[in-house]
Amino acid sequence: MGPAISIHNLSKTYPVPFRRLRAFFRRPVKESVEALRDVSFDVNTGEIFGLIGRNGAGKTTLTKIVATLVQPTTGTVVVRGHDSVSADEHVRRQIGLSTAEERSFYWRLTGEQNLMFFARLHGLRDRTAKQRIQALFARLELEEVARRRFGELSTGNKQRLAVARAMLSSPPVLLLDEPTRSLDPLAAARMRELIRSLAQQDPPITILFTSHNLSEVETLCERVAIISRGRIRAIDTPQNLRDLTSGSETVNITVSSGEKISLTRQHNDDRLDETIRKLQSEGKKIIDIETERATLLDVLERYEAADERK
Amino acid sequence: MNADLIRVHLRSSAAKIMNSLKLLPRRIFAFVARDFRLFVSYRMQFVLRIVSVLGVVTTLFFMSKIFAGFTDPQFSQWRDPLATWLTGLAVLNYFMTGFSSLANSIRQEQTQGTLESVLLTPINLPTVIVSSSAWDFLETTFFSFLYLFFGRVFFGVQYRGSFFLAVVFLLLTTVVLACLGILSASFAMVFKRGDPFGIFLGAGSALFSGVFFPTQLLKDYAGPKLGSISLILPTTHGLQGIRQVLIEGHGLAEVTQPLVTLLGFLVVLLPFSLWVFGRAVRRAKREGSLIQY
Repeated sequence: MGPAISIHNLSKTYPVPFRRLRAFFRRPVKESVEALRDVSFDVNTGEIFGLIGRNGAGKTTLTKIVATLVQPTTGTVVVRGHDSVSADEHVRRQIGLSTAEERSFYWRLTGEQNLMFFARLHGLRDRTAKQRIQALFARLELEEVARRRFGELSTGNKQRLAVARAMLSSPPVLLLDEPTRSLDPLAAARMRELIRSLAQQDPPITILFTSHNLSEVETLCERVAIISRGRIRAIDTPQNLRDLTSGSETVNITVSSGEKISLTRQHNDDRLDETIRKLQSEGKKIIDIETERATLLDVLERYEAADERK
Repeated sequence: MNADLIRVHLRSSAAKIMNSLKLLPRRIFAFVARDFRLFVSYRMQFVLRIVSVLGVVTTLFFMSKIFAGFTDPQFSQWRDPLATWLTGLAVLNYFMTGFSSLANSIRQEQTQGTLESVLLTPINLPTVIVSSSAWDFLETTFFSFLYLFFGRVFFGVQYRGSFFLAVVFLLLTTVVLACLGILSASFAMVFKRGDPFGIFLGAGSALFSGVFFPTQLLKDYAGPKLGSISLILPTTHGLQGIRQVLIEGHGLAEVTQPLVTLLGFLVVLLPFSLWVFGRAVRRAKREGSLIQY
């Protein structure tokens, strides 16, 4: 199976509107903003692919280019064989985008009416649309608020409705921009479970996932791209990314006498087994074992620090 | 080989167009249903607008009494000023919708932040253009009809001639103005505010198109140069045609001149405005400013 999303040498520089006109009238002209530079990667079919980076790193621009809402300056994005610029309508049939932007709904319409409007724009017949909306409300636990105006919904429910809208046309590719940002811990856990199940269903859904919750990205994503100042700095599995920063981890062992033993070991070496055997042979009872290993945050910080030094 | 490729391309383009046309009614219905629901969520506004139309018609009735019997014979359309004003207002209302509806819809979607969500669905630009104005036209048809209805029922205004021909004029002029509306929407898409088309047509139509007084008076009082401005406005020709039909009872043979002029406007403006709108959307996507306002 080929990649669901293929991004090749993508760059985006936001032009300064009416630069020549401003210069002609001797008005101050701002510099163009380079949001993405030479970004290339593939997202495989059925993969949950994470995109992490600081605010302004280029995550949203990248997501919007894939969604055909922003045009790239150079490079290409191909979604399931369709080019995002020359075949944008085809690409839009393949994707669903959920953002944390509350303003993307009609506030005086109910959640159900909002989804019905977008379902019709997707070309769904009313009966099919109603069935699908009911199913999505059930899946996202939105039945109770379906007939309430969007403006009256809590931030969390608004966010779940945005995910429901993204799934409305059953697209094979989902772009989820911080889908758990405003959810309570229980709802966030259920959302993560839903996202995981989508990637495992048959046929699987490909998910491009951005979040500032790095532990969530670590748990959910098979591969993660780190984006900093518009450039992809690393792409790998969360485990390999952590190992890139530090191959070692610190293990803190607490035994029944209250004694605390700390050891630093390389990933998967035998030092922990040896220590445990030694403690057991000494008749000590192990109460707690705690591991401190590099997180995606450490990886992100490392790349940010490297960029700041430049 | 090239011929085969061209044939495949043409076939795929034709299939795309057929598919869009097949889905067009459903999409128009989606916009109309949405806008109707938004409209009824403000019920008070609806009632007040009906009352205000009745107020305007009543005011014009009493104003028309001042001019009773004083009409210059060269202004044959103005023998019953109330009928002339009411057709003028009803039609101007319609024309202004044709002109401003799309730009308003785009601006409203931009300020609400919903434009990106709409453009994220697989609909093409002409569909967005037609669909987002559909409700405005339905609403305006109702209120324009109210002007004529109140005039007829409460103040005995008589209309004659072919209503069908009048509707042809109305539709044609509205489509021509919608082309200007598309240009205006393109302006809103790129510059966000300060649309010169709106200012020119909004203020200009009432003054130069003969809504409240004959355009001939402009020439007489302001000179031929200023007076000829009315000739470059599609509203002048549309209004002239509709009044010739509804008030003077003229048939098709007598209204060919305004009809041909309007067709000329259409042939030039329609492809041009669609091209400009496509460029404006591409520019907004390049600048990433679709939801900015």
